Amino acid sequence: MEYNGSAVMAMKGDGCVAIAADRRFGVQALTLGTEFQKIFQMNKYTFVGLAGLASDVITLSDQLRYKVKMYELREERPISPETFAHLASSSLYEKRFGPWFVEPIIAGLDPKTGEPFIASTDLIGCINFAKDFVVSGTANSQMYGMCESLWEPNLGPEDLFETISQAMLNAIDRDCIAGWGAVVHVITKDKIVTKHLKGRMD
Amino acid sequence: MVDRYSFSLTTFSPQGKLVQIEHALAAVNQGITSVGIKATNGIVIATEKKTPSPLVDISSFDKVSRVCDSIGVVYSGMGPDARLLVNEARKAAQKYRRVYAQDPPLPILVKDVAAVMQEYTQSGGVRPFGVSLLIAGYDHHGPALYQVDPSGAFFPWKATAIGKNMISARTFLEKRYSPRLEIEDAVHTAILTLKEGFEGVMDEKNIEIGVAQMQEGMSRTGEKVQEVIFRVLTPLEVRDYLANLS
Amino acid sequence: MEVLFGITGKDFALLAADTNQARSIVVLKRGEDRTVDLNRHTALAYTGDPGDAIHFTEYIAANVRLNEIRHGHEASPNAVAKYTRNALAGYLRTRQAYHINMLIAGVDKTSGAPALYWSDHLANMTALPFAAHGYASYFCMSTMDRLWRPNLTLEEAIIVLQKCVAALKTRFVASLPEFKVKVIDKSGIRVIDVKFEK
Repeated sequence: MEYNGSAVMAMKGDGCVAIAADRRFGVQALTLGTEFQKIFQMNKYTFVGLAGLASDVITLSDQLRYKVKMYELREERPISPETFAHLASSSLYEKRFGPWFVEPIIAGLDPKTGEPFIASTDLIGCINFAKDFVVSGTANSQMYGMCESLWEPNLGPEDLFETISQAMLNAIDRDCIAGWGAVVHVITKDKIVTKHLKGRMD
Repeated sequence: MVDRYSFSLTTFSPQGKLVQIEHALAAVNQGITSVGIKATNGIVIATEKKTPSPLVDISSFDKVSRVCDSIGVVYSGMGPDARLLVNEARKAAQKYRRVYAQDPPLPILVKDVAAVMQEYTQSGGVRPFGVSLLIAGYDHHGPALYQVDPSGAFFPWKATAIGKNMISARTFLEKRYSPRLEIEDAVHTAILTLKEGFEGVMDEKNIEIGVAQMQEGMSRTGEKVQEVIFRVLTPLEVRDYLANLS
Repeated sequence: MEVLFGITGKDFALLAADTNQARSIVVLKRGEDRTVDLNRHTALAYTGDPGDAIHFTEYIAANVRLNEIRHGHEASPNAVAKYTRNALAGYLRTRQAYHINMLIAGVDKTSGAPALYWSDHLANMTALPFAAHGYASYFCMSTMDRLWRPNLTLEEAIIVLQKCVAALKTRFVASLPEFKVKVIDKSGIRVIDVKFEK
């Protein structure tokens, strides 16, 4: 979990959710790249952020995408974020005694009701449903602190973006192995806004 | 050999038929009649419980089975074959629950069961199932009713019957069915359909009825939610329906 | 003590691998080639356990070739890199996990756009504009951070490489006298002779 370093978080708003992650790719203290993808879109309204070992981030994102595509072909409907959380959880628990070193964050809107949903799981798939925010990665304690002080209920998409961006940027400034820029997706019923944040690049 | 195309399941006859499967369907058509009706707010499936001797303790065997909380099944044809399928269906439902933490939507469960039945038409050393099933539950539009045949073919129905009196029962249902039918009326119609061609006196012991309906339940967070529940009616409930009928 | 470099330029990618074959404190061989051509426009350079590395790269090279014959289509550097990563990741949690670090470089055969992928023995992979493996990464990533810019010409890229090697000469304990340098562009893969100051 501390091999590559990462920071991922998601927040609930009023009819919207936001998910953010840092973009660093590094090996322990050595930073190699600053454009690494840690958030993956599973369907129109469901996103997953994977914090942990970069190798497993790639493997698991591919595997989850495969499972979601197969589900959606089989059931002829989009997977809801809540069902996806259970799918991710059972995929992780399948490897209980030789786990993927990844702690996912799930964020999305229910495709039918538009209800915001966020959740996180540990590396063996124990789900944490939350009604405010979820965090994951090496900067988790910093992120908890920032979210705890900045988040408030019923934020609109613009305010939610500002809140999650500030929480993310200030959290990763206090983690040596996460940061180097961040990406934020704000998901609302009619559009997804993606913004890249420039952080301290040192 | 009189008929060269009935010794192996995997051999097509020159007419392009798999005769063993047709024979299996013939076995179903000798089976006890079952009916299923879709209502606006639920699904009913029902069947007759026939015993070879009055000495059989009829109260301790069931023909309508629950697959999972929201899905039920009834069969016409060979009881032992049906039990194996019910067992496979229950396993499929629990396998789905293990992954997605919810009951499978009806079409998914039906496809799983149909896949088992199809496998038995193409594998070596086995015979097809001597049953047709009526599977009741909900899909993401609402109540749904499926029939699955020994070939593995399945059909969605508004109302249907399988088994011995299939033809007359379907004719009866065609006359009685209305898309505005509510569940109480659907149960009545199901009973009346079974009554067509019923031998002897119908009572709460010799028919069995299962109903899938929306009910109030509790969500993960403790809030009240609507959920689909399939249950087999108790003899007392059946008696009330029968009493209301006359 | 093994060292790899990768640099992308305007329409080419460059790979450099030192040629010392060493075990513990002993140099076993000079002139070892730690690069493998995977197809006409993709090459790979590796470090790691020599047995694992040779076995794994031969396996990858053979399968990339097989796929090309099967499908009548040369895979892009991106496809080759992802295939290689998946193979390595597949072995990761088995008893035959390969201990191999790689740089995979190539160009798109039609557009000539360069690509460079960095991968370690855990199958961590990312695309980078410039990269290094081994102790060189601690010495030379900052050198390349300063000197690399988009659309380098081959001459400029060679200068970046020479400055990186010069940095190693100055501060790194081990001596790395020779490098095998490969350039991949639209016309294919070629070995070039780069002079490094003694």
